[in-house]
Amino acid sequence: MPCHRQTRREWLWKTSAAAGAWLAGPTLTRAAAPSGPVAVARCRTYDSAELLPTMQKMFDQLGGLGRLVAGKTVAIKINLTGSPTYRLAYLPLEDTHYTHPHVIAAAAHLLAKAGARRIRLLESPWSTADPVEEYLLQANWEPRDLLGAAPNVEFENTNWLGQGKKYARMPVPFGGYIFPAFDLNHSYADCDVFVSIAKMKEHATAGVTLSMKNCFGLTPCTIYGTGAGVDEPSDVPRGGRGLVHAGDRQPSKSAPQEKDPTTPREDTYRVPRTVVDLNAARPVHLAIVEGIKTMTGGEGPWVNEDLKAVAPGLLVAGLNPVNTDAVSMALMNFDPMADRGTPPFERCDSTLKLAEDAGLGTRDLRRIEVTGGSVAELRFDFAGMRQSRRSAPRPRPGIRG
Amino acid sequence: MAVSSTPMRWPNAWADPAALDLLRGTAIDCLLIDNSDELVGVRERAQKAGLRVLHPDAPTEGIEIVKGAWPGVKMSRNGGAEAGPTGVPWVDSNGWNILLARALRPEHEVWVDAPPDAGAFITADSYRIAFADSAAYGGRWIISLDKSLAAALAAGKTEAQGPWQRLMQTAAFFGAHKGWADYAAAGVAGVISDFSGDNEFFSRELLNLLARAGLHYRILPKQNRWGTDGLRALLYVDADGPAPALREQIDDFVNAGGMLISPFWPKVVGGALPLAPLDKYSVSSAGKGKIVTCKTPTDDPYVFANDAVVLVSHRYDMVRFWNSGATASFYTLAPDHRGALVHLLFYSYRGPDAASVRIAGRYRAVRAATVENADVAGVQLEPQRDAVEIHLPQVSQYVALELEA
Repeated sequence: MPCHRQTRREWLWKTSAAAGAWLAGPTLTRAAAPSGPVAVARCRTYDSAELLPTMQKMFDQLGGLGRLVAGKTVAIKINLTGSPTYRLAYLPLEDTHYTHPHVIAAAAHLLAKAGARRIRLLESPWSTADPVEEYLLQANWEPRDLLGAAPNVEFENTNWLGQGKKYARMPVPFGGYIFPAFDLNHSYADCDVFVSIAKMKEHATAGVTLSMKNCFGLTPCTIYGTGAGVDEPSDVPRGGRGLVHAGDRQPSKSAPQEKDPTTPREDTYRVPRTVVDLNAARPVHLAIVEGIKTMTGGEGPWVNEDLKAVAPGLLVAGLNPVNTDAVSMALMNFDPMADRGTPPFERCDSTLKLAEDAGLGTRDLRRIEVTGGSVAELRFDFAGMRQSRRSAPRPRPGIRG
Repeated sequence: MAVSSTPMRWPNAWADPAALDLLRGTAIDCLLIDNSDELVGVRERAQKAGLRVLHPDAPTEGIEIVKGAWPGVKMSRNGGAEAGPTGVPWVDSNGWNILLARALRPEHEVWVDAPPDAGAFITADSYRIAFADSAAYGGRWIISLDKSLAAALAAGKTEAQGPWQRLMQTAAFFGAHKGWADYAAAGVAGVISDFSGDNEFFSRELLNLLARAGLHYRILPKQNRWGTDGLRALLYVDADGPAPALREQIDDFVNAGGMLISPFWPKVVGGALPLAPLDKYSVSSAGKGKIVTCKTPTDDPYVFANDAVVLVSHRYDMVRFWNSGATASFYTLAPDHRGALVHLLFYSYRGPDAASVRIAGRYRAVRAATVENADVAGVQLEPQRDAVEIHLPQVSQYVALELEA
């Protein structure tokens, strides 16, 4: 089956001046990291009357979806982080930390309109092998709204073996920071085009969570989870991804092990690197970052910060996730060139820098063509809110589930 | 049968009849007192005071005493909450046991015998949960004090007054709402079994686990007559097949569009469910409904319970919680069918601060009552499609939602 992933990989190899050095580690220069256009737009509501034309225009600004998806199987990784029973106060999950179903539906509709043959909505829901539809119902979503957004839309829970006969071995072309390859649910290999739809948020461990960090959820907890099997994957996922965060144990022995178990066992070191490894193993063809409504202070209501629901009214889309995340960071009023020690990476490494170093894409705004609007005009000041928040005492944690 | 009593197990250390003064003005109207000589004075004075006195171990006419567990989140040795294989905190509740006893012997009052573990330190909130966990389901916890609280109360220590008053406040609250036990349990599924003999373990454990998974069910003992109104699924869980009349009733239910789920049902010709992890079941159409059976009979009620919840589907959840921690709920319908009463139990060490609850059904108004507050202020009702969502302010561990249709 022809696969864009392979084509892109081949392209990367051909265009890299230091291709031979990839296997030894990330040595590409910043100038060599790919860049592509990123579309930004103001979108104040999730009403389809505003959302659909806005997204259509953005995709047109990227050159149109047809050449990317016509006749293809498109896999979309959505973001449903944490338990569906966790809310920020009384707010629906999609208004704070889940990618909004209207954005997912609009994307599916437009992909189908552009000729996508089959659209697969993928997520690894918290600690369960149940169908994604059942998970959505617990979040108070109506899965039929998504299944009916376009012909041939389907879900798969990728937190375990799922509908596949075996896990798909996905090597990291540059050799990987932490993992040389991953064993993932078949859905990430059995697709022609891979889309990441993320929520625009800060993240307690990784600084920000955007289209690249969304891919952290590719890892099945049957292999990479706290309750993963030691020798073989467990039958069903148990718990979260403490294994990847803390490095206190290795994945199931059937899967590729860490390259170097002596590296720091710190989540602020491991998570950004693992995210880059995953993005290299399963490249994103279309990155969409949704910040119409979201939250500040962290990736979900469980984060012990002064969390706030906000409505930046922003949409970002690009063909390269590093570029897209760089523009998203700038829209959040963070410096995408920031490194460890600088907000939002005060305590962690920058996923963007690591991705750039690995040759996945540039984070240098001077090399990224931003279309549809100006970053300066659309900016929403996450950074300023972060600074104010962090100069005040932390809130008393409540009972949130 | 509606509960009429509020029983208490008399602490053996309270040999002084003057301790009965503690009960003055409380809901306690029945004492279970040992036959020891030291307690003769207590028994005599209690009877003179109009209290019903029973022996703790003697069977009592009209009362079904079920052996229960101390309700709450089960803690592991390291102090963390124990969880099932899917990570949901393991809640010990006596609700299923009360419902089963009520279903099997509807003419009996159900009491729950679940004293605190020896040496356990029980907080005031934990006592409240212990009482509410039984009372919400139409039973009564036999009030049983831990040794340190009993000793502190007998000694008149001030610090003992808080937990005691909290417990008595809870008993009084439910004592004032005895009619709630007449409300009928609502469910999305019916569990059919004789709940005895070889079927006892699987069927009873299934009730426990289904409740823990949040599925609202009605208990349908084989030996009773019952209807299937409002049910979407029947779970037939006995290894032996149904008698002809019951079989006919089940067939009628399925033919009319219901779902039968059974681990042991005679093999039917049908295809596998397409979606893993449910592909271990076969499904066949029958009339307008379907029959779902295990390809290989299972003896694991945990797996079957969790699969049944998905087979029935969360689409038909009668209650959904957000920001609530470890929870349970009991959905009942008013005898006049003009409303519903939904009992909410929060088993965390304190109540939630911003919980939301989605209740299936069309209602236009809600009143929330807690033990401390007969009409909680700040409760918001948001209509949804065939449901309402209720936003609760900071509440304690038990809330009764009275919904007006």
